[in-house]
Amino acid sequence: MAEFVTTVKTSEIPAGGVRAFDVRGTRIAVANVGGTYYAFDDECTHEQCSLAEEGELAGTTLNCTCHGSEFDVRTGQVLAPPATVPVKAYRTRVEGDALQIEV
Amino acid sequence: MAQRYVIVGASLAGATAAITLREEGADGDVILIGAEREPPYERPPLSKAYLRGDVPFDKALVRPAAFYATHGIQTMFGTRATRIDPLARVVELEDHRRVPFDALLIATGGRNRRVSIPGGDLEGIYSLRTVRDADRIRAEMIAGRRAVVVGMGFIGSEVAASLRQKGLEVVAIDPSKTPLFHVLGEAVGQTIAELHRAHGVRTVFEDPVVAFEGTRRVGGVVTKGGLRLGCDLAVVGIGIEVAVEWLGDSGIHVDNGVVVDEYCQTNVSGIYAAGDVANHYHPVFNRRIRVEHWQNAIKQGAVAARNMRGKRIAYDEIPWFWSDQYEANLQYAGFHTKWEQLVVRGRLESGGYLACYVNNGRIDAAVGLNRAKDVRRVIPLIKARRAVNLEQLRDESVDMRVLHASH
Repeated sequence: MAEFVTTVKTSEIPAGGVRAFDVRGTRIAVANVGGTYYAFDDECTHEQCSLAEEGELAGTTLNCTCHGSEFDVRTGQVLAPPATVPVKAYRTRVEGDALQIEV
Repeated sequence: MAQRYVIVGASLAGATAAITLREEGADGDVILIGAEREPPYERPPLSKAYLRGDVPFDKALVRPAAFYATHGIQTMFGTRATRIDPLARVVELEDHRRVPFDALLIATGGRNRRVSIPGGDLEGIYSLRTVRDADRIRAEMIAGRRAVVVGMGFIGSEVAASLRQKGLEVVAIDPSKTPLFHVLGEAVGQTIAELHRAHGVRTVFEDPVVAFEGTRRVGGVVTKGGLRLGCDLAVVGIGIEVAVEWLGDSGIHVDNGVVVDEYCQTNVSGIYAAGDVANHYHPVFNRRIRVEHWQNAIKQGAVAARNMRGKRIAYDEIPWFWSDQYEANLQYAGFHTKWEQLVVRGRLESGGYLACYVNNGRIDAAVGLNRAKDVRRVIPLIKARRAVNLEQLRDESVDMRVLHASH
């Protein structure tokens, strides 16, 4: 059953940045959009690039610079090809200074 | 009034145009005609993941095969258009059917240039454009066999990499000094040559192939310099020629492809062109350019579709593409034919760099090896057409986004 898992301190994810963490065996990327944290699978659904390493965030749109696919970090939805499959998105919440991700 | 939209070329550009017409609410008929029998597909995997057998063909489809019928797009695949009658506003097909149109998109792309040297029609010599071409090469990709790659442009380079990745012995031959020499120049080209040599490719440069040898099937190649190299198969990648001969008496202006304005429209009102076949007036570069990239096919196809519906949208995307070879990610953005300065961020010898082709202090184009983010960040600088601070550009400690605002 899905539950919120405490991961890292929110301060580890700079504003406008994306960082990836292993959460119970899954590599999950977290984007900080103006203090709101969005979590999604780190692996691009096109050709397995790391979205935290290769992703360029503009607002809530993440461009995977390997091949140009774009995702909405809020939902994981594909905004631009070549990717056609959404990345899985996870719910997050902040408890004190800790970021929790629902997995 | 309902319009009748006809698209010739069930390519990435053509299919994207048909999809865009429907997505944006066009009523009336949308008819997609293509010579290939398969539903529209993307070609980048054909030289890489699909060629290596890593992904099925379905993954390359622009949309699932059933999409077109369910979205009211009438398809005629496996059907070649042979003529346009611009006055009657009719496309003629090889089976003599006539398809009337109100607005027409030409997206017929190109076909591979063939070698005209002795032995060029022997069995075992391939070129790569279609999925059927890819299937033929795939059937020959058995580890330990000897392959010769003739022509080290992007397709040749990617095929050489895929062949090595499947365990074939590969000799790459090109008349220029390096791979990609005409586009990227010697300094960058050398890094690509090194990449291939590091992966076990034998390279032969400045020495063109003058003949294939064999009785029925290719058994070797001969170069101008007198090298004789045995092989079990050969793949030729020496570029494409545009598919325009069917436009012969149409009155449509053809010059290195179908000439279109910034709105993707030809000299004949209501007739448009997009993708590899279109020689497009690019407002950013203030000249016509013909681009054979995946991104251009998609984005130009979409803009052409909107303009077919009566919009006036100038297509001004900066050309961009990637070329994955082995584990390396090579990307190019912009447009250049010559350059006064090559400004390198990082070191060319290091396996990771951004090299910018600079004229008058402006970046016209850039190529990145394993520098995807830098390529993404250089695109606004190319589009701005302003001089940039070249010292900062070189300096890896300066975030490239700073340069966006520096003038």
